[in-house]
Amino acid sequence: MDPAKTSLGKMLLEEITPVVMVLRTPLVEESCLKNSLSFIEMLSPFCDFNNIDVPVRTSSDQPYRLQKFKLRLFYESDIKQPDIVVAKERLKQVITEAGEKDRSDLSTDPLDISNVLASSKSEISPSWFEIFNKELVRTVSFSEHEAFDHPVACVSVVSSKDEQPINKFVDLFNTNKLPSLLNDGAMDPKILKHYVLVHDNKDGPSEKATKILTEMKNTFGFNGCHLLCINSSQDEQVEHQDNPWVPYKFDSSPSQDLGCYLNTDDFNEIKDLIQELSSKHIIPYMEQKVRVLNQQISATRKGFKNQIKNLWWRKGKEDTPDSSNGPMYTYSSVESQIRVLGDYAFMLGDYELALSNYRLISTDYKIDKAWKRYAGVQEMMGLTYFMLDQSRKEADNCMENAFNTYLKLGSSGRQNATRCGLWWIEMLKMKDQFKEAATVYFRICSEELLHSAVMLEQASYCYLLSQPPMLHKYGFHLVLSGDRYKKCDQIKHAIRTYKNAVSVYKGTPWSYIKDHVHFHIGQCYGFLGMYDVAFTHMLEVLACSHQSKATQELFLREFLQIVQKAGKTFEVLRLQLPVINISSLKVDFEDHRTYALPGSTSVKESVWRSLEEDMIPSLPTVRTNWLELQSKLLPKYKESNICVAGEAIKIAIEFKNPLEIPISISSVSLICELSAKSDETNSDASCSTAGIWNNEEHENLREIISDTSSFSLSEVNISLGGGEANLVQLTVTPKVEGILKIVGVRWKLSGSVVGFYSFGSNYVKKKIAKGRRKAKQSPGNYLKFIVIQSLPKLEGFIHALPEKAYAGHLQNLVLELRNRSEVSVKNLKMKTSHPRFLNIGKQEDLDLEFPACLEKKTNVSPPANPKIASHGVFLFPEDLSVQGENPLLWPLWFRAAVPGNISLLVVIYYEMGDQSSAMRYRILRMHYNLQVLPSLDVSFKISPYPSRLQEFLVHMDVVNKTNSESIQVNQLSTIGSHWEISLLQPIDTIFPSQSLIAGQAFSCFFVLKSCRKSSTEESTSSLFPHIGSNVSLVPDGSKGAPFDTSKSPLAGFHDYERLQHGISNQEAENAVDFILISRPLKSNSQPGVADAHHVFSHHACHCSTASSSPITWVVDGPRTRHHDFSSSFYEINFRMTIYNSSNALASIILKTLDSTSISDQLSDEASGNQVGWHDVSLAKDSKIESDALRNHVRKSLLPESVSPFIWSGSSSTGVQIKPLSTTEIPLQICVFSPGTYDLSNYVVNWNLLPVNDHESVGERIESSGTSLGYPYYLTVLPSD
Amino acid sequence: MATTACFIIVSRDDIPIYEAEVGSATKREDAAQMHQFILHAALDIVQDLAWTTSAMYLKAIDRFNDLVVSVYVTAGHTRLMLLHDSRNDDGIKSFFQEVHELYIKILLNPLYLPGSRIASSHFDTKVRALARKYL
Repeated sequence: MDPAKTSLGKMLLEEITPVVMVLRTPLVEESCLKNSLSFIEMLSPFCDFNNIDVPVRTSSDQPYRLQKFKLRLFYESDIKQPDIVVAKERLKQVITEAGEKDRSDLSTDPLDISNVLASSKSEISPSWFEIFNKELVRTVSFSEHEAFDHPVACVSVVSSKDEQPINKFVDLFNTNKLPSLLNDGAMDPKILKHYVLVHDNKDGPSEKATKILTEMKNTFGFNGCHLLCINSSQDEQVEHQDNPWVPYKFDSSPSQDLGCYLNTDDFNEIKDLIQELSSKHIIPYMEQKVRVLNQQISATRKGFKNQIKNLWWRKGKEDTPDSSNGPMYTYSSVESQIRVLGDYAFMLGDYELALSNYRLISTDYKIDKAWKRYAGVQEMMGLTYFMLDQSRKEADNCMENAFNTYLKLGSSGRQNATRCGLWWIEMLKMKDQFKEAATVYFRICSEELLHSAVMLEQASYCYLLSQPPMLHKYGFHLVLSGDRYKKCDQIKHAIRTYKNAVSVYKGTPWSYIKDHVHFHIGQCYGFLGMYDVAFTHMLEVLACSHQSKATQELFLREFLQIVQKAGKTFEVLRLQLPVINISSLKVDFEDHRTYALPGSTSVKESVWRSLEEDMIPSLPTVRTNWLELQSKLLPKYKESNICVAGEAIKIAIEFKNPLEIPISISSVSLICELSAKSDETNSDASCSTAGIWNNEEHENLREIISDTSSFSLSEVNISLGGGEANLVQLTVTPKVEGILKIVGVRWKLSGSVVGFYSFGSNYVKKKIAKGRRKAKQSPGNYLKFIVIQSLPKLEGFIHALPEKAYAGHLQNLVLELRNRSEVSVKNLKMKTSHPRFLNIGKQEDLDLEFPACLEKKTNVSPPANPKIASHGVFLFPEDLSVQGENPLLWPLWFRAAVPGNISLLVVIYYEMGDQSSAMRYRILRMHYNLQVLPSLDVSFKISPYPSRLQEFLVHMDVVNKTNSESIQVNQLSTIGSHWEISLLQPIDTIFPSQSLIAGQAFSCFFVLKSCRKSSTEESTSSLFPHIGSNVSLVPDGSKGAPFDTSKSPLAGFHDYERLQHGISNQEAENAVDFILISRPLKSNSQPGVADAHHVFSHHACHCSTASSSPITWVVDGPRTRHHDFSSSFYEINFRMTIYNSSNALASIILKTLDSTSISDQLSDEASGNQVGWHDVSLAKDSKIESDALRNHVRKSLLPESVSPFIWSGSSSTGVQIKPLSTTEIPLQICVFSPGTYDLSNYVVNWNLLPVNDHESVGERIESSGTSLGYPYYLTVLPSD
Repeated sequence: MATTACFIIVSRDDIPIYEAEVGSATKREDAAQMHQFILHAALDIVQDLAWTTSAMYLKAIDRFNDLVVSVYVTAGHTRLMLLHDSRNDDGIKSFFQEVHELYIKILLNPLYLPGSRIASSHFDTKVRALARKYL
């Protein structure tokens, strides 16, 4: 590639060209300004020759033809180093102008990064960079150390209107307005001079001008004088096509005026003037000078001899003290001449010559430590290498060397370094070394922000253009640049860079980067008043939980400011503040299942279902059930949820504040859509596209929001502290029938920004409180409801249900049912999950006074069983209907049965009075949690009363397990008519305090007497199953009427207790049920007084009275006898009464043992027991017992001193006893001497015979056994 | 210990999966974002260099003003990047190697999904301890 064709080459051919100084009089300028052009501006379009085709001969003998040539024209006042401040202003102006032009595409969305990469190079970087770079290069023009900016020629221009034009020419050149370069000796003041007379044809014919011209020619010589006639166009304005002056005019005024008086003649005249000036004067002059200088330098510096000489000479020069910039070189010094030679050669395109001279001089400057000049020469060397297209590496080295040297100079070299860097960058770009170019750009950056902003932006584009594209670097440098632009208030530039950066960082997971970019671009847009765009960017940074608190505050404040300035409420899909926890979404609605309290939904649906099983009419039997009815009404939406018009659907959703600062949220409400049934299909269609979020959807949402006539929504205001999460309860109440869809939720952040959130969009993990009949449903259906016409709904409440109770606590409650609608409900049924805890009373019970109603009344009427259908479902009276304002009150009995946490469920079923409604029945579900604390722990132990028939000793242990309560034990009752209980000792003696303080235990003995009649009488007793006997445990004084355990609440609960123990309501033999009634004492202020309103009842069921044998007996007979033994032995008769308490026929064998044989008998017995199959379940205990007994027997028998007695009569009596009956066996003994006798040496063998009509085998405790006799002491005294 | 140091683990998808400011200098407000920017920009260089060498430790690969980016690339192309202003090359190398070991232990956790954020507090404390030790 030809270096001259590259952009750097073109730039060099334009910038490093001969300078022509122009001196003019004010009148010249005046004539030119008629065309709104200055004189230089008028000439400049013609200074650029692309094909001048002039033969040039420099050092070599062979001439070559110069093609491209350009002259740079400057007024004498401009030939000086530009003031830094002015230059900066100029640069700033360029940037600002460029920014203004950009305005159009500011608000467009950032491109996708792949599109950016696909676009061509020229599209990527803005075009004004070239202008800027040119300006930047020009800031260092006319420096002393570079000769190419030194004027080559001087053109003096005088108008023909000037008086004494010849003198004017002289004056122009003699004034001390000449640039300092000429005056202070940096350059040769003897330069080529040229004289031009300008004649304005408007001022009249040119005769006068030609006269002056001849005069000039006489004075200044023939060659250097010219006449230029301008403004030849008479009156009419000339329209120029492709106006040549436009590119040279910086402050572009309306371009039509430019050169409006210059016609084609003028045009050609100017062209000819410049052509002649350059080809006939300037180029030959430069050729001449190059040749002369080259000759001089060859003579003094080239060749071995001169080099040696130079070395010596240089050494001598070192003695002089160096200034920081090295020694001062005048135009006449050899160094300056070499430099001039090099630059002229460069400008004439003889790069070889230029390079050799630059090389020559660079060593000299280096030795002289003239660093600035050295750097300048190195720079030119680099450029020459480039133009020669020879060694790229050399070129790079030279440029780097120059760059570094300039940088070393500090501030004075900064601008030169910048220029050098820019050229270097261009050079690198030519070679596609964009990465290196970018680093150079980065190095050019100075402290000055605006300057470095532009450089960084250019660097970023270099990174983008490099292969492969370095996008990360691109983004980073864009941000760096944008940051600087922003600090310099170049907002538009900042927006451009940040916008590009956004396209790089779009969706980046690098949180801080994302926040920075969006925040700053948002701020920039905010400055420009483009609040909509600012807002969208600011939205991105709202959820910045990773940032510090201060930053979060800053972000939020800026955001709200923008919103405020925008002066409208924004509506945002998916506002990130606050965060919505979609998995917390919970929907509560009521179809046929209604709930009394909000907490009721926490119970599993299956639990409710199992409870309701028996109440809901089964499908096949009931013809017109609601399901069929409904399926007729709504064939398509069987799987949808059903809700009732006028009843609220509750949605609970969690809002979480991710920030550390509090935010306030207002007007939280649901977004719902209620469509009438006719446009079902439409709603279906929109439902399917719910996943896609676009503007259309947004519009759709807005539409939905605006239409709220058919339902009412609740609004909630919350404020969330830092990091706080809040569960918000929202409701929607449909008013008309149709299909209701809950689309999403909306809220207002800080009163100004409306956020939307659609449930449908990512409602994947749904959690709905209710169980579903159909597991497989599309997610949208969870939030879709069929609204059916308004139905009556029962509201239920149980009054005064305690949350905490002691076990045994007994209380009456009132269930209140209310139906607010006009339509009545009927066929009420009710069921509770824990009938042990909650019993349904009779309607009369409402008026009862508790606990007085528990007390025994004098007139005992047989209690009627409450109407309990199968499975514990309570049917309310059929004629009962609930409607309107009057609530239905129904008594309930509550008893805390067992300690623990109980969730008490109550289900009430009711049917609509109006058959036409879509639902035939509904269910009211009530759920209560209650905590039951332990109170009294009661245990009973029953053992047979020895030597008493059908009597038992009851050992009652009571422990007060409460923490602080004192409990008074009131009454112990047995259940059933065939038991009678009485105290063994008066209560005063065993239990004087009458109350149990916390932790206290107490034991008490009772006598229990069975008064069971024969089986024929049982039928009557079953009518009064709960009538039993009571024992009062309080002294008579404080005793009220005893509690009646046979009446409804206690008896009812007792039945459930029995059921709980798996015992049928039928009375089992040998088992007794106890009810202990106690009352807590009132608080400590009144010790000893029982709380009249609290009654505890403790039930103990099925306490077995059965001892080891079903056979009991009593020996009846005299205890003391007098007898005269002198006459004869004494015969005494006894009677043994044997009772068979089992249900089987028992055969009894009574063996009386004489003292001698007893031990053998017993051992036989024992061993006999061991033989063969036998029941060993009780073996151990009974064995030990029997061992003990045997010892006892032996001990009693061993003393031989006791006079023996003998059993008379048969030694073995066999008898059969019918179930539950007694028989008597007569016994007789013979006593031979006075003394005390123990008549316990007999054994009762019993054997239960299976009875045919009694099939239950499990009830048989023992089929046979042996009992030893009870001790029976008989004292026989000798009669006097 | 270095006055400024920022350690980031970048997954193969260029997602930061662990970030720690381990410098002893008092934290400036905008330091975190600056560090992220520099490290993010250095990813380009890593991309170039990672395939030119078989060594995992790439040494200092990029610099921004006086901050240097050192990078260690694991076999799975997870990049451990350290932004620092100290010149303790050996220490940094050891630091990287030990953190690599810790990272492998994290990877061995069957509940850790490779490429997801490392939330283990144990890892965090270990890394900070290593930073105190070596940097």
